[in-house]
Amino acid sequence: MLSKLFTTGALIFVALSTPVIAADDKIVITGSSTVAPLITEIGKRFEEKNPGVRVDVQTGGSSRGINDARSGLADIGMASRALKKDESDLKAYTIARDGIGVVLNSANTVSTLTDQQIVDIYTGKISDWSAVGGTQGPITVVNKAEGRSTLELFLHFFKLKASDIKAHVVIGDNQQGIKTVAGNPNAIGYVSVGTAEFEAGQGTPIKLLGMGGVAASVENVRNGSFPLARPLNLVTSKEPTGMTKLFIDYTQSADTHDLVKEQFFVPNGP
Amino acid sequence: MPEPANLIDREIHPVRDRVLLGAVWAAAMLVAGAFVWLLADLLWHGAGRLDWSFLSTAPRNSGRAGGIWPIVVSTVLIVAVAIVVAAPLGLATAVLLSEFTRRGGTTERAIGLSLDVLAGVPSIVFGLFGNAFFSVWLGLGFSILSGGLTLACMVLPILIRTAETGLRMVPDDWRLGAAALGLSRTTALHQILIPVATPVLLAGLMLGIGRAMAETAALVFTSGYVDRMPSSLFDSGRAISVHIYDLTMNVAGGDRSAYASALVLIALLVLVNGAAIWLSDRTLQRKIATR
Repeated sequence: MLSKLFTTGALIFVALSTPVIAADDKIVITGSSTVAPLITEIGKRFEEKNPGVRVDVQTGGSSRGINDARSGLADIGMASRALKKDESDLKAYTIARDGIGVVLNSANTVSTLTDQQIVDIYTGKISDWSAVGGTQGPITVVNKAEGRSTLELFLHFFKLKASDIKAHVVIGDNQQGIKTVAGNPNAIGYVSVGTAEFEAGQGTPIKLLGMGGVAASVENVRNGSFPLARPLNLVTSKEPTGMTKLFIDYTQSADTHDLVKEQFFVPNGP
Repeated sequence: MPEPANLIDREIHPVRDRVLLGAVWAAAMLVAGAFVWLLADLLWHGAGRLDWSFLSTAPRNSGRAGGIWPIVVSTVLIVAVAIVVAAPLGLATAVLLSEFTRRGGTTERAIGLSLDVLAGVPSIVFGLFGNAFFSVWLGLGFSILSGGLTLACMVLPILIRTAETGLRMVPDDWRLGAAALGLSRTTALHQILIPVATPVLLAGLMLGIGRAMAETAALVFTSGYVDRMPSSLFDSGRAISVHIYDLTMNVAGGDRSAYASALVLIALLVLVNGAAIWLSDRTLQRKIATR
């Protein structure tokens, strides 16, 4: 009886093993887990408008996007940051922008922190909320894992090195950061402004802190006044042609602005 | 003269026995309670999102809206590939270990050790291996095939170890009997040993399927992230646990869909386990009826 099962299985296996779509009409995109959901949605709309074309989106982080675009494993890479100096061999196309804001649990009485205070908290010089005007309690520093674009942006903005930071909790994806801070009244973390604004609106117990006197809001990221922001980029190793070029042009067009907003990012343009 | 049966009924250490009884009951309740709590939490958050259209449509808006049908299909295909590849290999290795090697011999110990090491390897390592070997080196790319083959490597130790135990449980007298009747080893295996061990083989298969179906880390870099309906095994397809992970960790406002997807995953596991129990009961009954 088992052998019959295996024969049937093997037959189905062979039947399904035939590729249907030719490789020319397939665009493979890999990289940033922040950008992936957005590009997936844009890809679906693009597929509807261009029958026969397939957009395959894979995650793995910005570094992976850069590497895969370079090695040719992917047609397009996704990076949730600007290109670095040693990546000038690549071409970047900004599809949206995203702000990074510091978040606290809403039970925390602290309502503002200066840049210096944030640096001192993250380097371990300040370890109790009473030192920055809050009620007494040990600060739980939530940091992003090595290799995350958000971490790199945060370090660059505050002129810190990764080794300077004394973290209690190290997290990966954005929602994990929000959930960690929401679950711990003494936690401090930094996450995407758009998603934090949305979550706070949904009743998740977190609050966004302003930075340099500018409130952390999607509006202030859009008008450029919020200092800690990053571009969300598509990268290619050479000048894009054919379907790849068509797709990149499409992601930058106004046609996708509603999708960008649905993922709580800020569309290009005014 | 005391009746031997009375020894069991008589309370020799009433207090100690009661404490023991209480402790094992408490432990069992704790385990059951943890599961009930988990299930209640999932139902509380996810049941409202769960309906027929959730099961039968494709995800929209990164999974916040729409359903998970293509993801269920991908998951079933990935697990099917894994089992179709791993089950025959596993059975063959188990036969080698239990029938053709000396217990405690060098071959048996070497294979056994490598299996136990393999069983302890974290799934993310299988994921990286699968990506490097199946996706890149063999050129399968991000595909259901890559994911399924990676999972096959991962569940092999479980399948082999359980199948080996099942075969070893068959009394040696039966083997001697088969030999005395002049049956070849192939016939003995096919007609006696494997049929007798079938319930255990199926149990191992279930453990393997359960582990494969709930896998995330090994699949992110092999079968991938694409949530479209797969049209062949060479397509990338998102497994249900990858979907749950993405919704909770990466998609703001995706929690309710994540809970509902988790309920679907548990339902799938219960379904598979139920099918296995039914299958194993049926084979047992047939055996009793015909042999």
